[in-house]
Amino acid sequence: MTRLWTIACREYCSLFRIPLGWVVVALFLALSGAVFSGRGLQPGQPATMRPFFEIWWTLLVIVAPAISMRLFSDELRSGTIEPLLTAPVAEAVVVLGKYAAAVMFLITLLAPTVAYVALLEALSRPDYGPILAGYLGILLLGMLYLSVGCLASSLTSSQTLAFLGTFFALFLVEILALVAAPVAPPVVRSFLYALSVDQRMSDFARGLIDMKHVVFFLVASAWFLALASLALESRRWR
Amino acid sequence: MIVANRVSKWFGPVQAVSDLSFEVPSGQIVGLLGPNGAGKTTTMRMITGYLPPTQGNLTVCGHDTIAESIQARRSLGYLPESAPLYLEMRVVDYLHFRGRLYSLGRRDRTAAVKRVLERCWLTDVRRRRIGHLSKGYKQRVGLAGAMLHDPPVLILDEPTSGLDPAQIRETRGLIRELAHKRTVIVSSHILPEVEKTCDRVIIIARGRIRADGAPADLLARLRESSPYVVEVETSAAEIARQVLSRVSGVATVEIAQAGAGMGTTSPLSAGWARLTVTSTTGAIDLREPLAVAAAGAQLTVRELHRESPTLEQLFLQVIEADDARSP
Repeated sequence: MTRLWTIACREYCSLFRIPLGWVVVALFLALSGAVFSGRGLQPGQPATMRPFFEIWWTLLVIVAPAISMRLFSDELRSGTIEPLLTAPVAEAVVVLGKYAAAVMFLITLLAPTVAYVALLEALSRPDYGPILAGYLGILLLGMLYLSVGCLASSLTSSQTLAFLGTFFALFLVEILALVAAPVAPPVVRSFLYALSVDQRMSDFARGLIDMKHVVFFLVASAWFLALASLALESRRWR
Repeated sequence: MIVANRVSKWFGPVQAVSDLSFEVPSGQIVGLLGPNGAGKTTTMRMITGYLPPTQGNLTVCGHDTIAESIQARRSLGYLPESAPLYLEMRVVDYLHFRGRLYSLGRRDRTAAVKRVLERCWLTDVRRRRIGHLSKGYKQRVGLAGAMLHDPPVLILDEPTSGLDPAQIRETRGLIRELAHKRTVIVSSHILPEVEKTCDRVIIIARGRIRADGAPADLLARLRESSPYVVEVETSAAEIARQVLSRVSGVATVEIAQAGAGMGTTSPLSAGWARLTVTSTTGAIDLREPLAVAAAGAQLTVRELHRESPTLEQLFLQVIEADDARSP
């Protein structure tokens, strides 16, 4: 457990020792601030974070791969993976440590947006149910996307490939649900809808915390992380 | 300490290491030599447990590198080729990170970091970012990271590659010092280095062990076939050739003219010729009979010595023999 924390801390700190971390934080905050003030914070509008959350789901398809792309690819390219995996640490611990760092970074991105909630509170009386549920939804969605990115990153030493692979995989699932599902046979359609996060996210945005959705995100994340761990171990049988 | 038992490694259809067996006792420094692609790095990666052998097994301090991987890794310090490091970290932070990976407590860790910083002459740069350091310093940081948890076994893959001669010398001294009560396996291309540093040399080519032994023993075998060199005045060269040919035990005598020197000692000056004498049996020292014969013929001999073989010659001989075996 201490080793997991050690790896997570090193990874998290290293994100801020390179420009990538700061750039992602700055760009994201600028964009979400613009969306919030432009669409959410208007006279006569309900005091809700909904527009903010909606832009977030879309943004995560780009932001999550940007965070996760370097997790393993960077180490595979520079060779630092070798001293790391020859230390007495199991592969699964390395994967979980790095994943934890990525999730912590996502939380860091989200943390300043609590100021928006404070702003809403100052101006009117917001409904806290949908806000809390929305944050939880974003966190869960982010965890799923980051785990997909984690797997992609463990498969290649190229950060670009890891980013694009993750981005297109996430994008494709949503596009399929949007475009292919209405014309697909019922069996395929329900499968595509099940994979899509769109429906699940609008439930969260309405303030509905459905355990079905929570379990879906957690189990899917765990599944991708297990695959990433397996990918790291695969050098043993390749 | 380290036991390799009939280890083979295949990468798809390519066999990198084949049927490798050796045993390294505690406290020995072993030099692993071989041309590029001979299987040195693969062998080292298998010892560290980073790669599993396709066949056979390896143990480090009695622990199987795959079945008891974590225990085996605990007793290992590994410096991979070109010392990969987290460039954005500070030296001291990196070392603390390594210490935490090996579960060193805060007090032990602080002491260990201080110790390796001093040992590897890194105290002055401990607050610097690793990415800003020179190649030599990076190599030392890698070495410091490998020895931080005081492992009984050190695996160093090309620790001197890319260093300047002064740094190579420092690193050699450091490895010698580290080897005290430790088992060290070090691979290198710089043969004189290995000759000076290692107690034992293993030469591998095409994944097989071609020579294994103390450098002195291996060289003694080569010495038996090494030639004698006699330098006489050019005018007397032909007479000297005939005189020396008659000495019993001499196989051939060849005259190398001035300027076409053998290259091992000072180049020939004008007026002097060098004769290369080979013997039929290497075991007997022919220097005395040669000197007596030359004196008897009243030749002016400026130099008489037997070429001392170097590890480089041994290495090339082994590699050439290997090439001849499988074209």
